[in-house]
Amino acid sequence: MRPPQFGSSDTGSDSGDASFVEPGCKGSLTARDVAYQRRTNLWVFAATLAYLGAKAALRWRHSLPRALPWILVGLAFVLAILAVRSYQVFLRGADELLRKIQTEALALGFASGAVYSMLYPLLEGLGAPEVGGNATALVMMLSWGVGTWLGTRRYSGVGAT
Amino acid sequence: MTNRLRILRAERTWSQAELAKRLDVSRQTVNAIETGRYDPSLPLAFGIARLFGLAIEQIFTPEPKA
Repeated sequence: MRPPQFGSSDTGSDSGDASFVEPGCKGSLTARDVAYQRRTNLWVFAATLAYLGAKAALRWRHSLPRALPWILVGLAFVLAILAVRSYQVFLRGADELLRKIQTEALALGFASGAVYSMLYPLLEGLGAPEVGGNATALVMMLSWGVGTWLGTRRYSGVGAT
Repeated sequence: MTNRLRILRAERTWSQAELAKRLDVSRQTVNAIETGRYDPSLPLAFGIARLFGLAIEQIFTPEPKA
């Protein structure tokens, strides 16, 4: 659920410009992007807390009021949807290069997750250790983060490919 | 695509950050356009042209086909 941190280093070749960056405007983010990213991070944080709360409530559900796990699971769903919505709004209003980097990273994350979920069972058939269903989500998120990092590097000219 | 953005910016003694602010984009975007790693969208290209008072083709030149 947690979005990757977007590259914030001033890696442009015109290093003399770094001192002109106004407060709240990092090299790869406009001030608007920073505001939207903060809001998205808050929603993600709230959704993560709700998810952990729901997991705990399910573990100890027999010693809790019957309605509480339902409420917490419902809350986790609602907050997760709001976090996704916030990310969508962030992406729509984002600086166009940042949007391109994020779109490419999301494509990499989705493709990696799809490939992993289809091919890893074949490896399991050959004796590879069994992993839980959450592994696909983890692969997607990690690939997304790696894609963001690579994209930021590429367009900043560091290790350009 | 090649462009004259760095030259035009230098003529006005603007920093990348200053130009980015005028165009409402990030400094990374300006840097990527100047170094030819990123081609701007059509609205941004028009915005750049308007800002410098030039036509788009006076700033951006397509690479000749090999």
